[in-house]
Amino acid sequence: MDIGVLVKASLDVNMIRVDSEGRILLDAIPLAISEYDRNAITEAVRIRDETGGGKVVAFSVLTWGPASKRAKEIENVMREALALGADEAHAIVDDSIIPGDTISTAKVLAKLICKMGKFDLVLSGEASQDMMSSQLPVRLARELNYSVATFARKIELLDGKIRVTRDLEDYLQVVNISLPAVISVTGEINRPKLPTLLQIRRAFRKPYNSYTLSQLGVESIEIKLPYKEINLVTISRKNVILEGDKLEDIADQLIERLIEEGVIKV
Amino acid sequence: MKGMVFGEKVNYLEDGLGFLQALSENLGTEIEVVGAVVKSDDIDLSVLKGFTKLYVLNEGSTESYAKVLIDLYSRDKPDVIVGPQVKNGVEVMARVASELSIPMITEVYQLSKVNGDTLISRQIMGGRALALYQFKSPIVATIALKRFKPRLEGAQPVIEEINVPKVEMEVVEVQPKEKGAVDIEAAEIVVGVGRGFRSKEDLKLAFELAELLNGEVGCSRPIAADLQWLSEDRWIGISGKKIKGKLYLSIGISGAPQHIMAASDVKVIVAINKDKNAPIFTYADYGVVADLYQFVPVLIERLKAKLKK
Repeated sequence: MDIGVLVKASLDVNMIRVDSEGRILLDAIPLAISEYDRNAITEAVRIRDETGGGKVVAFSVLTWGPASKRAKEIENVMREALALGADEAHAIVDDSIIPGDTISTAKVLAKLICKMGKFDLVLSGEASQDMMSSQLPVRLARELNYSVATFARKIELLDGKIRVTRDLEDYLQVVNISLPAVISVTGEINRPKLPTLLQIRRAFRKPYNSYTLSQLGVESIEIKLPYKEINLVTISRKNVILEGDKLEDIADQLIERLIEEGVIKV
Repeated sequence: MKGMVFGEKVNYLEDGLGFLQALSENLGTEIEVVGAVVKSDDIDLSVLKGFTKLYVLNEGSTESYAKVLIDLYSRDKPDVIVGPQVKNGVEVMARVASELSIPMITEVYQLSKVNGDTLISRQIMGGRALALYQFKSPIVATIALKRFKPRLEGAQPVIEEINVPKVEMEVVEVQPKEKGAVDIEAAEIVVGVGRGFRSKEDLKLAFELAELLNGEVGCSRPIAADLQWLSEDRWIGISGKKIKGKLYLSIGISGAPQHIMAASDVKVIVAINKDKNAPIFTYADYGVVADLYQFVPVLIERLKAKLKK
């Protein structure tokens, strides 16, 4: 079975950079593979191997610029997808859809996927680590005219159908949908392994290609709702480290503070 | 202006109505709101004042709910369509938005007005940043729960029952999640446990402390998802539970962004961790740099003395 998997070169939320006035420096934050995309790749590889053949193809769109500077970073992310078991990788790298929005990203991804062949299944993570909108799988399914299910904790192939166990807040919902389908997976669906050195080395021999929009036959694309600005959340916590010679003193100080704050009563 | 609110539960409709009322105030225009809710055995529609009309749907799937909303869109032509920030809410709204080719904002967090522009913001990057969008209709959005307080007043809405259409997605089974019968989202005091605990057995320290404070025990993702020492209803995180009480006392938790964001509405945060460089201290009001195995027993003892227990 041929399976597509969406991979995002996401802003690394653990490496946020700010200037001296506390403004966020988006261009200086490094890109990293989005956490749940590892789960999606691992699941795609499992299904490929269990169905005996076919390939896993990773797809991405660069959404953080500038493209010239970021081209190498998205390639590294896609190499990681290859090391995790994908067979080939393709990404759109074009300044005209940076930063874009979920509508434009879904549209160009659909173009790229269609160019690469027919896929029975396209998997993605439940949300990207940076923008966390969870919209893309649904929008992509609409563009491809595939069925869709989100927040999958388990995926089972039935005869001509697919059974998805959706992990909702209060319960698990088991649904059947038809193929071809786009499915987003949660972090609980499997435990991705770190690639071995051999897998990392092999990843550099697997095909990776990047495309501009015109190479995909897209002349122009409308960005309906770009973000206006991105601001750092300023945390207004007191950040008081309680110190003392003995743990008893520290415990007493803490209790005293909590009483002053009115959060505990004695 | 017209608004439409969807939600599987009555309280989700209240959240959506609260947002639309805030939006109407922000824009300085009247808003007429219709609602679509899913029928259940214990549903009480009488609280839902402030809607001109309520569509009551029988139970279906995300695909069937989206179909109904798309039909209602062509009938009522709302400028703003909102749903709750829960997983089904996000899927249904994304289906509606993509079918209608309308932009969507996931997890709307606040509304503001800057130089005459109405701005909608949402939390991104694990809560470290806010993304701001200029409001422009038509738009679809999911609304963070309990962020916008509604005014439930006015006449009872007209009710119309709708049978959801037959669709391809077939709901085969619903499995309730195993519950420890706790609701940490409603708890005023939560004691959080993380990887700093060396065994499941050792968590009894946290339970003892929580009991002393009349609180509940919550945990970080590894404790629930990987180690499975505690049930998932105790997991504090963006994909888990969000807490908003008076006190969060985190013990042996380093502070992943997804965990911290889910505690950002708590009034006072205390962190106990032996690593003075743990990110959790940046997000805490009071920090204690100590080995939890040494400090927590002392804290329990001193609390007992103070509380005369």
